[in-house]
Amino acid sequence: MSDTLIPVTVLTGYLGAGKTTLLNRILTENHGKKYAVIINEFGELGVDNDLVVDSDEEVFEMNNGCICCTVRGDLIRIVGGLMKRAQKFDGIIVETTGLANPAPVAQTFFVDEDVKAKTRLDAIVTVVDAKHFLTRLEDSPEAADQVAFADVVVLNKLDLVTPAELDAVKTRIRAINRYAEIHEATRGDVPITKLLGLAAFDLNRVLETVPDFLEEDSHTHNEHLTSISLSTTAPLSAEKFNAWISHILQTQGADILRTKGILSYAGEDRRFAFQAVHMIADGDFVAPWKPTEPRTSRIVFIGRDLNRPQLRRGFESCVA
Amino acid sequence: MNDLDALLKARGVSENLDAYITACVFNRTGTLAAFALGDGTLRLKSVAGWQNVPAHQGAVLCLAPDTGDGFVTGGDDGRFLRISAAGTVTEISSFGMKWVEHVASFAHPKSGLLACSVGKFIHLFSADGTKLRSLTHPSTVSGIAFDTKGKRIAASHYNGASLWFTASSSETPRLLEWKGSHLGVAIHPAGEAIVTAMQENALHGWTLPEGKHMRMSGYPSKTESFGFTKSGKWLATAGADAVVLWPFFGGGPMGKSATELGVTAGTFAKRIACHPEFEVVAVGFDDGSVIVVDILKEKILPVCAPGRGAVTALSWNPTGSHLALGTEAGFAALVDFSKAG
Repeated sequence: MSDTLIPVTVLTGYLGAGKTTLLNRILTENHGKKYAVIINEFGELGVDNDLVVDSDEEVFEMNNGCICCTVRGDLIRIVGGLMKRAQKFDGIIVETTGLANPAPVAQTFFVDEDVKAKTRLDAIVTVVDAKHFLTRLEDSPEAADQVAFADVVVLNKLDLVTPAELDAVKTRIRAINRYAEIHEATRGDVPITKLLGLAAFDLNRVLETVPDFLEEDSHTHNEHLTSISLSTTAPLSAEKFNAWISHILQTQGADILRTKGILSYAGEDRRFAFQAVHMIADGDFVAPWKPTEPRTSRIVFIGRDLNRPQLRRGFESCVA
Repeated sequence: MNDLDALLKARGVSENLDAYITACVFNRTGTLAAFALGDGTLRLKSVAGWQNVPAHQGAVLCLAPDTGDGFVTGGDDGRFLRISAAGTVTEISSFGMKWVEHVASFAHPKSGLLACSVGKFIHLFSADGTKLRSLTHPSTVSGIAFDTKGKRIAASHYNGASLWFTASSSETPRLLEWKGSHLGVAIHPAGEAIVTAMQENALHGWTLPEGKHMRMSGYPSKTESFGFTKSGKWLATAGADAVVLWPFFGGGPMGKSATELGVTAGTFAKRIACHPEFEVVAVGFDDGSVIVVDILKEKILPVCAPGRGAVTALSWNPTGSHLALGTEAGFAALVDFSKAG
């Protein structure tokens, strides 16, 4: 099914992190593919591509009961317009402004029926300036939000930092988001296969890149924005889980940026995959559990001021 | 009797144009039908046959009749073009990387007007293509419409619609506010109301001049196309599995229920075209079928069977004798309703 949908990669990162350099690198690599690129008018560098759409980031609030459900109306319009073109393309890359919150972009792909019918969100790629990231964290909440949302972090400008500085930056990134893949780079030199075609929002792959769950969550820094993981080997009740997660997302969805889970329901041989961006959730049965593998239900939250004991008690109360 | 294509076969001509048909209209003299395509061309159909006019670099995003006998178009190459009846292309204006998403015209012997929307702006031109003024909006313009006298032009955008007097030099429009993303606009033929379609599968309206709110909701999908019938009594809307008609008389639409005609389970109406003379509306569905609905008699006439791609363009000629239709798969047809049958 997803083969007919055009993959969309969201490229985010703070001002000066090197988004446009990375974008040009992706576009000029000899991959034989055509991409439509949606940029904003604040870009200081030119983008080297045939099909570039200049857009104003226009966010609006949906009147659908989700208090934090904001959507990019300009993307809905542009995706609709691109679909009319006779000249087809292999993917869409959306570059956000440096100060942008990635949530409205991601939510657009869950909320709008027309966009959902033609495209799928592939991954959120966040470019981080290794040299200035720690300073950015102090002065702008957007910098942390962009890392928290990321499926992939491109840790750029490696040539400008010492190994010790690099370690410090990586530790901070891990403290915010333990589940993003980190690729170190200089002038955006990351292979395109690490950035595009990841299907990070595909329910079948929702927790594929998550590291081993046995390790404890790191609390080395006093981050407001953290990620926590919970797991249980006891089969869950679908009904209890739905009630619990709906309540959690409704009451705390403004602070929970992303949620991902693979669940083992009692009496069900298929895994149930679950993901959410703030309050907007999506879930379905995916491939069955392998006969030999332990049926461990796992859920990951990335968000602000998460109450681990409370979430853990809630998750454990979903046991069938 | 069971052939849904009977009318198309008996009274129609059709052509496969091999690209997404984004719009179709007739010129004001009714001598030509124009189909705007996703490959950047305009295809003109006259009695003599088809003419292929290369116009834009990417897709032709919008199309309107010119004030004379040609057409105006906007494209994702940022150009606002005039295409004469003979197929000559003239650039009225160019806006760089920004898309020209909506065009409109108002025909008048002395004070004809052209308009196009680009981002947050409507650019207003005289009929000869001279730039008159630019109208600025709080967010990107999603639809434009002249009133029947050309005195006002309306724009839909985030959080409502703006109504401007075309001859005034005022920098501030009448702002009609309603929170949310508005996706298109229509003005009542007698100027009694302005209606927008919304992201949340609903329409919103304001009475004029009072500005009282009207909410029309309950649609299963977005209303991409809507319009008033000639008399202004009915607002015909797409977005449901039928044409949904809201009564704009007897105190309606508030407190009145909508009439649904031409119910076709499992499909959604995509395009609406109100007949220029009668209380009749053509409806195109996402399965490719087209019907014509007589509102007063509540009768349905099948025009075109499903299976040729979602209907994306639908238009009557000025007298209402011919209907033009186009689909996302590139199927284009003209159907003649004038012969006695």
